[in-house]
Amino acid sequence: MPAREEILGRLKSATKRQNVDRPAKPTLSEITLESQQMIRRFESELSMRTGVLYQARDKEDALRILLDIITADGLKSFVTSSDKIHGVDIASLGSKNGLSVTIPKDFADRNSLRDAAFAADAGITSADFAIAETGTLGIIFNHNHPRLLSIAPPLHIAIISVKDLYPVYENVMEIVFNNTKEIPSQFSFITGPSATSDIQGVEFKGMHGPKKVFVIMIMDG
Amino acid sequence: MHSHVNKFIETARKELKNEPSQMFLMMVSLGAPILRQIGMSSFPDIAAAESYSRAIRADAIARLPELLEEFEKNAESKGAKVLWAKNAAEANNIILDIANRGGVSYVMKGKSMITEEIGLNEHLIKNGVEVFETDLGEVITQNLNLHPFHLVGPAINVPLEKISETFLKKGIIKKASTDPVELGGGARKYLRDKFRNLQMGIVGVNMAVAETGTIINVENEGNIRLIKSSPKTLVAIMSLEKVVPTIKDAIFMTRMLTRNCTGQKITSYVSMDTGPKKPDEQDGPEELFIIILDNGRSEIYRDFKTREILKCIRCGACLNTCPVYTKIGGYPYGATYCGPVGQVLTPMLMGIENTTDLYRACTLCGMCKQICPAGIDHPSLLLSYRSRQIDIKKQKGEKTMQSRGENAMASLISLGMSHGWLWNFGLKITRPLMNSLAKDGYIGSIPMGAQGWFGCRDLRAIPAKTFHETWNDLPSLPELSGNTSKKEDS
Repeated sequence: MPAREEILGRLKSATKRQNVDRPAKPTLSEITLESQQMIRRFESELSMRTGVLYQARDKEDALRILLDIITADGLKSFVTSSDKIHGVDIASLGSKNGLSVTIPKDFADRNSLRDAAFAADAGITSADFAIAETGTLGIIFNHNHPRLLSIAPPLHIAIISVKDLYPVYENVMEIVFNNTKEIPSQFSFITGPSATSDIQGVEFKGMHGPKKVFVIMIMDG
Repeated sequence: MHSHVNKFIETARKELKNEPSQMFLMMVSLGAPILRQIGMSSFPDIAAAESYSRAIRADAIARLPELLEEFEKNAESKGAKVLWAKNAAEANNIILDIANRGGVSYVMKGKSMITEEIGLNEHLIKNGVEVFETDLGEVITQNLNLHPFHLVGPAINVPLEKISETFLKKGIIKKASTDPVELGGGARKYLRDKFRNLQMGIVGVNMAVAETGTIINVENEGNIRLIKSSPKTLVAIMSLEKVVPTIKDAIFMTRMLTRNCTGQKITSYVSMDTGPKKPDEQDGPEELFIIILDNGRSEIYRDFKTREILKCIRCGACLNTCPVYTKIGGYPYGATYCGPVGQVLTPMLMGIENTTDLYRACTLCGMCKQICPAGIDHPSLLLSYRSRQIDIKKQKGEKTMQSRGENAMASLISLGMSHGWLWNFGLKITRPLMNSLAKDGYIGSIPMGAQGWFGCRDLRAIPAKTFHETWNDLPSLPELSGNTSKKEDS
């Protein structure tokens, strides 16, 4: 008998399978956070994971912060999810400062994208959601936003609007998985940099993914 | 890797004297429960959160076959290929076929206990496909050929010098180091080009969502996200109990998994894949294979008692709280799964008769049951294995007792315990003799045998009075309410 039928048949023939009554879903304290509290919570959770939140007044301020990060870390080459993110013009920032900036449509095939993502100093990406509960970013990966940009380079800079900040995961899951036809091929939560404690319980950042994560949040939406 | 569950006691003795293991175990037993408690304290009502996650797992297991069909239908409608495997050999061959068809020379793996259970690495390597583990702990266990010491940190106990030596030999680092950061950095560098050129990746699955056909991976290192992004071919392998009903259940279980696992409120990455990449996307797998593996679990499921083992989410909380695991570590359990989860699962996978030490190495203190976010009653399962083993022996006509003396002793105790007056009578007769053997209030051994029993414990000297005698000799208590008095009760 084919494996599928044999396994399912055996499971279905099991006796005493009773339906389970679930208790009420437990409440989460974060659900009632108001906007200022959400920002504070997001920042404190993110910084506990060594991520850094910058609050930018507007897109010009965001550009200035971005340039500061680039200068401080001596970054030269970038892969970005778009030449402009929330109005922050990364392409022209690059050309003015002699930096290499590439966007997904610059790449002919997956191999060249892959090579660029692994070679870049940093990935600059948008994020679809920020979640206050744990200082988490939520990113929908699609043709505009390849997966590798936020995981292959040693540094990840995310630019996000305060309008996309939500209290808890459930708020975001409802939006992303609402329409079963349009579920993204991958949706990921990112909370701070890559980390490990696998040797003697000593924690350090940047095991396989980014060593640092910066989040620039534009406050005027 | 070959199991050595038959060497439980031998390995445990060795590990009790192993200093690095003991140091780490002390750290775990003190630190892990505190970290978990801090993580759990973000819930306004911790007990409510625990009963909810237990209900999710109970529900998932009650509806297991229906949920698996729903998951299969939805995953396939999104373009994933769902394949079923009855046992280790089938799963290994499916994966080898995929590798051969793609003509790949190597594969990279995310941390997965199920591939350890089926011995996938050995099978692929034997057939000419190189395998690179990518989780730092598994890089170490793979290169040192070790069983996992802990479910979550499989190599967390391994001394730095040993890692350095092995990494040097394998070319993972260029010069010796005892700095964990340098050792980890070496592994990062060593694996980076391999990630970039990867053609086929293999990951386990933390949760499979029936409602949407989504597979979810929870990790900190980013190796799994790289494996799910870089290659054209992705194989995700799951044992069949990994399914949960809805996406909201999955996200709630993720909260419970990370808190119970490392105490983190969330791991660095939680990636949720629904089908392979879409045609216009530039990375992610073109082909996504999801292998649903049975390997003995449908038989575990048919037995109403053992079914609940399948609720397990592999968080490892039971290890960190177990008074036996936190003394002997993971090696004595001799197989993929160690600690209480190994004690309930391994006997079902390898046979009750081959794993006798596993279900006897338990004090039945119940900490594992109390902490389990999936709602497994480990002690009652272990008791049932003990009685099943005796039943098997009886059926085979084998002796169920070690010796005639043990047999006589058991009959005597059982007779005494079923007749209160006889028990007291026996006690009074033997008391002077027993207590003559006592030293400082404890009896360390008796001349007529039971050496095994006394080998690791003492018996308190028998008190001069029985409980009833003591009770009756108490001065009368002032009456609290009504007319109850101790005289009337007795």
